[in-house]
Amino acid sequence: MIGVSSGRLVLEAKGLHRNYGSIVAVGALDLSMSEGEFLTIVGPNGAGKSTLLSILSGAMRPTTGSVRVCGEELDFARYEWRHRIGMLSHQGFLYDRMTVEENLSFYGKLFGISDLEDRIASRLRRVGLSERARSEVRKLSHGMRQRASLARALLHDPDVVLLDEPYSGLDPAAAVVLRDVLEELKDGRRTVVMVTHNLREGLEMATRIAIQVGGRFEWEGSLKGALWKDFESHYHSVVEGRV
Amino acid sequence: MTTAGMRRGGVVLTVLGLVGLIALYWMCFFWVSTEVNQGVVQRIFYVHVPAAWTSFLAIGFAALASGMYLWLRDDRLDRAALCAIEGGLVFATLVLTTGPLWGKIAWGTYWTWEPRLTLTLLLWFIFVGYIMVRNSTEDPDKGKRFAAVVAIIGAMDIPFIHLSVVWFRSLHPEPVVAKPDGPTLPGDMLVTLLFGVLVFSLLFFGLFLFRYAVEALRAEADLRARSTA
Amino acid sequence: MCAFAVLTGVLFNFSIDTTTVRPNEVATGLIWMTLIFGGLLGVGRTFHLESQDGALQGILMSPAPKDAIFLGKLIANFVLLYVVSLLVLGVFGLFFGIDLGRNFGWVVFVLAIGSLGFVAVGTLFAAVAAGTHLRETLLPVLVFPLMVPMVIYGVGAMMPLVSGRPFTEVEGNVRMLGAFALAGVAAGAVLFRYVVED
Repeated sequence: MIGVSSGRLVLEAKGLHRNYGSIVAVGALDLSMSEGEFLTIVGPNGAGKSTLLSILSGAMRPTTGSVRVCGEELDFARYEWRHRIGMLSHQGFLYDRMTVEENLSFYGKLFGISDLEDRIASRLRRVGLSERARSEVRKLSHGMRQRASLARALLHDPDVVLLDEPYSGLDPAAAVVLRDVLEELKDGRRTVVMVTHNLREGLEMATRIAIQVGGRFEWEGSLKGALWKDFESHYHSVVEGRV
Repeated sequence: MTTAGMRRGGVVLTVLGLVGLIALYWMCFFWVSTEVNQGVVQRIFYVHVPAAWTSFLAIGFAALASGMYLWLRDDRLDRAALCAIEGGLVFATLVLTTGPLWGKIAWGTYWTWEPRLTLTLLLWFIFVGYIMVRNSTEDPDKGKRFAAVVAIIGAMDIPFIHLSVVWFRSLHPEPVVAKPDGPTLPGDMLVTLLFGVLVFSLLFFGLFLFRYAVEALRAEADLRARSTA
Repeated sequence: MCAFAVLTGVLFNFSIDTTTVRPNEVATGLIWMTLIFGGLLGVGRTFHLESQDGALQGILMSPAPKDAIFLGKLIANFVLLYVVSLLVLGVFGLFFGIDLGRNFGWVVFVLAIGSLGFVAVGTLFAAVAAGTHLRETLLPVLVFPLMVPMVIYGVGAMMPLVSGRPFTEVEGNVRMLGAFALAGVAAGAVLFRYVVED
């Protein structure tokens, strides 16, 4: 496996399969990631990227195979491992009619966070939403909502951060905030998996890149030294080689 | 058991059941003595009651398989539950057809809230609910889990429904015709009834195995479609 | 929901001829039917708030136990339905001229157990229905057949009470109603995790 650093093993997936009837969304996929790694998965629509992310987040049970986070198997009867995972989906998971602060405080209580008020304040400062803390979520722009859900996803300080198309529909200001926050996540303690079909965003941050086609990683590697332009043509040859 | 084995088992049981059914009809029409109060029409009883028994067997079996499916997540258990439910639906439909036919002559009306008939009607809706839920999700696995929950809750509700409709009936007595009860049933009637139960159970399991073999083939076809994709 | 309660009372008043039937006896059945239809409207919206921005998934991905989430939703539904059922009781009492007298406490108690039984089954199947593409259309098909014992025992317990009979006469029915509600809550708490798993 390419790009395995010396750090502690955080995320391990073995022999993942997920079928929808006769359709294979994820097939025979292995993945292992260490502390501090940032994996960007790119691939065309329908490649099973979001399904993979759902399985890694513990929201979906794989048909076969298993996922471990920090050595602990994602067992659906247990709840402790959920503290370790934070997910930013293309949906915000926010309640429209509650304020940003109320939303964060609700999720904070679900995660049993003790210094909740301070933490909410610092997260909101980080994503530049302090002034809008008391606004109802439905009154926010899309970019602001996305920033609020970023604060929500990182509220419990997860070891593993999963991002599903985080850049889609963002205004430039929000994209800058997101990029800065993601850059900060590369503090060596966290493991990040980002899924996108957009080659223009998020590749430069990745320590590893995978191209997922038809439920499998058809290519894995890193962008070291290679130019983005080269990667784009490489990507298309990988995708078309399959299709 | 292999799929081919299932099919062979299905053939054996179904043939036995069909032969038994002919024997049961012969017994119904020519052998068993006519019940004094109701006359000839009472003979439908030997089809009606075994069919009802079979549909309750089906929900119990399906609930058991469903519970084990939620626990073990083995698709074979889910298939077993589905096939039992479908079989149960067939037999419950049979009860709901023969019941009113009998009722029209015995009680002068097609429908009465006779406890067992009411119970079967509700059971029929539970079967239908199971099938509807199963087919209304995008992800088939989700449909399987939802349907399993319907089967379990449905089976749990059966005792409550039974007790309540019996109690309700006791409150609203109708001019009920003497109903043959187990111990008071004359010997030849009891034998015919028990034989009917045996025959319908054989038929149920025969059809169940057939249906199961079809589902197993479907699963195999899905598997092949996946591996060539 | 409050408007629903009052307006149902008004409509029922015009749908029956109170000179030919005794309102006491009819009203009990109507109250329970209102409770069931109103309850269905209520539980159908159980996951409405969460469905807008994927918030249900957000909750499910948190370390909160699934049975706790179920019980939370159940309590919310129960409070709502119970308040509505008390309102229905008041409205029907007023419209049909029912005097509960010393049985008032028992009637209110029976309604509480009935509401609990309904929301236990209703909340579980609301989660099922929300996960299908048929949505709320599926809910009555799944819930109504299961509700027959509740209606029978609920009406059976309440009708004598409304007519001024002592509680001891209907104790058996209330026990069955309670058993139904408890079984529903327990089964729902156990099975909910399988419904919302993915």
